[in-house]
Amino acid sequence: MQENSLYLGRFRGQVKTGMIIFAAITVALYVLLVGLRIFTEESYGMFEMIRPAGRPLVQVTLACFAIAMIFASLFLADTKGAIETYPDGFFDMVSVVLGRFAMIMVAFIVLVMFYEVVSRYVFSRPTLWANELSLWIACFVFLLAGLYAMQQRSHIRIYIIYDMMPRWAKKTSDVVSVLLIVGFTFALVWGGYTDAENRFLRMETFGTAWDPPIPGIIKPALLIVIILVCLQAVSNLIADWNKEPEAHSPADEIDETEIENIRRTLEEKN
Amino acid sequence: MVDIGTLSLIVLLGMFALLAIGMPLGFASAFLAVVTLALKFPPDLLWGDFGRGPLSVLAQAVYRQMTNYVLISVPLFIFMAALLERSGIARDMYSSLNVWMSRTRGGIAIVTSIMAVIMAAMSGIIGGEVVLLGLIALPQMLRLGYDRNLAIGTICASGSLGTMIPPSIVLIFYGLVTETSIKALFTASFLPGFMLASFFILYIIIRTRMNPSLAPLPDPVPGEAEGREKSLMFLGFLSRFAMWVTGVLLVRALFFTVLGENKVRENQDPIPLGMVSDIPWIVGAFLIFTLIVFVVVGRERTAKGWEMGKGLIAPIVVIGVVLGSIYGGITGITEAAGMGAIAVFVIGMIRREMTFEIVWDSLIRTLRSTGTIIWVTIGAAALAAAYTLVGGPTYVANMIVGADMPTMGIILVMMFVFLIMGMFMDWVGIVLLIMPVFLPIVLRLPAEEIGFLGHVEARYVAVWFGVVFCMNMQVSFLSPPFGPAAFYLKSVAPPEISLTDIFRGFLPFIALQLLALSVLLIWPPIITVFL
Repeated sequence: MQENSLYLGRFRGQVKTGMIIFAAITVALYVLLVGLRIFTEESYGMFEMIRPAGRPLVQVTLACFAIAMIFASLFLADTKGAIETYPDGFFDMVSVVLGRFAMIMVAFIVLVMFYEVVSRYVFSRPTLWANELSLWIACFVFLLAGLYAMQQRSHIRIYIIYDMMPRWAKKTSDVVSVLLIVGFTFALVWGGYTDAENRFLRMETFGTAWDPPIPGIIKPALLIVIILVCLQAVSNLIADWNKEPEAHSPADEIDETEIENIRRTLEEKN
Repeated sequence: MVDIGTLSLIVLLGMFALLAIGMPLGFASAFLAVVTLALKFPPDLLWGDFGRGPLSVLAQAVYRQMTNYVLISVPLFIFMAALLERSGIARDMYSSLNVWMSRTRGGIAIVTSIMAVIMAAMSGIIGGEVVLLGLIALPQMLRLGYDRNLAIGTICASGSLGTMIPPSIVLIFYGLVTETSIKALFTASFLPGFMLASFFILYIIIRTRMNPSLAPLPDPVPGEAEGREKSLMFLGFLSRFAMWVTGVLLVRALFFTVLGENKVRENQDPIPLGMVSDIPWIVGAFLIFTLIVFVVVGRERTAKGWEMGKGLIAPIVVIGVVLGSIYGGITGITEAAGMGAIAVFVIGMIRREMTFEIVWDSLIRTLRSTGTIIWVTIGAAALAAAYTLVGGPTYVANMIVGADMPTMGIILVMMFVFLIMGMFMDWVGIVLLIMPVFLPIVLRLPAEEIGFLGHVEARYVAVWFGVVFCMNMQVSFLSPPFGPAAFYLKSVAPPEISLTDIFRGFLPFIALQLLALSVLLIWPPIITVFL
C-alpha cells in the first residue's frame, strides 16, 4: 500500500499502529468507566467527562481519545478517495487531515443519536447530553466541511460568464475573488475578536443541565477555521495559477466513479 | 450614510457582478454583508475599535446558524442517501414492483414513478435517484421499445420528486431560513407531492392508452401468474406484511404494558398505538390478516406472493423509521435522519452488502456536499443579518406592498422570479438569498386575497409559500439550460441520447409541474388538508 501513500511514506505503518493502539486504549478505558458506572457509587458519567479537572482517569481517557483521533485522521488522509482532487502542498494536506477528522465525526454523531433514541425510547431514560454533544460536534463538522470543500474546490460557483472570459480576465477574477475573501475574513475577525476572546477566556457554557462550553469553544474555532479557509483560498490561487483552465459544465457535478460504483452494485447478483 | 434604496441596489448589482466573475456563492454573500455594513455605518465606528463594533454581527450570525440543531439533519440525510445509493435496495424494489405491473400498458414507466415516490419518501435529495432510475429503468424501457421522450421524462421528472415528498432537504432549509415549523411543512407538502406524482402517472396511463405504440408490452413469461391470480397473490403479500407489522406493534404495546409506561396519565400525550386500550384493535387486525392469508388467499399463493414482493419490505421499513419517527412523535427531524442512516446501514448489513469502503466513501461524499451546502448558508446568514440590521427587508416589503399591485399579481411575479432564477442557480442559493426578502412581503399581503378559489389562514401562509417554493424548485430541476436532472441522466444514458433529446422529453412533464403549481396557487387550502 506504500505506493498509494500521499505524504506519510514509510511512517504510514507506524501511524496506523499508533491509531490502533490508542483506539484500543480508549475503548478499554471506556469499558472501565462504564463498568465503574454500573458497579460503584463513585463514578464518572458524561457530566464529569467534560469537567476533567482533578479526575486523572477522565483526563487519560480524553487524551487517548484525542490522540487516537489525530492518528486516525493522519492515517486516513494518507489515502486519496476516488472522488477527491489531489492534495498539493502543505495547506492542502492540513485541510484534508482536518476533513478526515470531520468525516469520522459525522459517523460519531449518528452513533450518539442512535444511543439517545434507544435510551430514550426503549429504556425511557433520555440522556441530558446527547443533543448538546451532537450540536457541539456538528459545529466542527460544518466548519471543517467548508475548509475541505475549499480544498476540493467544490464550493458553489456560477461559471456561465466566467467560462466565456479570456485567460487574463479569468486570472483577474480569481485574484479579485480571493482578495474579497481575505477582506471578509479581515472584517469578520475585526468585528468578532473581542467577543470570541472573552468567551474563550471565560469558557462560556451553554447554560443547560450538561452545560458544555459550546460558545467558549465554537466562537474562537469559527474565527480560526475561517482564517484557515482564507489561507486555503490563497493557496488554491497559487497552486492553480499555471494550471490549464478547464471548461465547466453542470456535468462536472457528476462523478464517474460514483456511477461506476452504483452500476457495480446493480449488476451484482443479477 | 447611504440611503437604504441605493444600498439595496448596490448589493443586488454587487451580487450579480461577483457571481459573474465566478466567486463562490457563499463568500460572495459574505463579502456583500461587509459592504452593506460599510455603506451604512461611518468608518470610524466600523473600524475604529479592533474587536468590536457593528462588524461583530457577522460572527454572531454565523455562530447562530451553526448552532441550529435542525441543521445537523442535513449531513445526516446526505449520509443516508449516499449509503442508500450503494445498497441493492433500489434494484430489488424495482424487480418486485415490476412483477406486479409487467402486464399493464406503460407498466415500467408507472413502476418508475411509483419507485421514485417510495425513494423520495426515504430520503430528500435528488441526483442519486435520477442516476439509479436511469441505470435500472432506462435500459428496460428502451429495450422494450418505449417512446424515448416518455422514458426520459418519466425518469427525470419522477426522480426529482425527492425534494417534494417529505423528508425534503429544500423544505428543511426553507424552515431554517424562515423559522417555520419543518414538521408542518412536511405535512403540508404531502398532498401536493402526491398530486404531482399522480399527475405523472395519469399522464403516462392516458398517453399509452391513446397510443399503445408508445409503450409495447413485454412478451408474457410462460408460467407466470396472470390477472386475478396475481391480484390474489398481491393481497396475500400485503396481508402477510400487515401480519408482521401488527405483530411488531403488539409486542411493542405489550412491552409498554409490562414496563407500565403506557399508563394513562394527566397532561401526557398517549403513545400512538401503544396504549392498553389499543391492544384489542391490534389483535383484531392481526387476526383479520391471518384469516386472509390462510383462508382467502391460501398459504401457497401467499408464499409465492411474498417471494415476488419482498423487495418492497426494506424500503417500507426505512420509510417507517424516518417518517414514523417524525410523525409518531418519537423524535425530531434530526434524530429521524440519524435513525434513517442507521436503518439503511443495518439493512445493508443484513443483505451482506455493507463494507467499510462503502461507509467511508459515503462519509467523504457527505462531507463534500455538506461543505458545499452549509457554507452558502454561512455567507447568506451573514448577509441576511447585515441587511436586516440596516432595515433592508422592511424597506423592500414597504415598497412592494405600497406599490398598490394586486396581491396575486405580486405572487405571480415572485413565481416568475423563482422560475427564472431556478434556471441558473441552485435551490440553496435561492432559498437563502431570496426568501429573506420575499417571505416578509408575502406575510404582509392580506391572507384572504391569496388564492382564487379558497384561502388559507394567515398563520399558514408561510407554510403555503414554502410548498409553493418547493414546487417551483421541481421545475428548476428540469428546466433548460442547466436542469441538473438532465445532466444526471445524460451521464448514465446511452451515448446516442443527446442533451437536447433529454430536454425535449421534459417538456410535457414541465407542463405537468406548472399545472400542479397553478393548483397550489388557485386553491391554497390543499396544504391544510393534513395539517
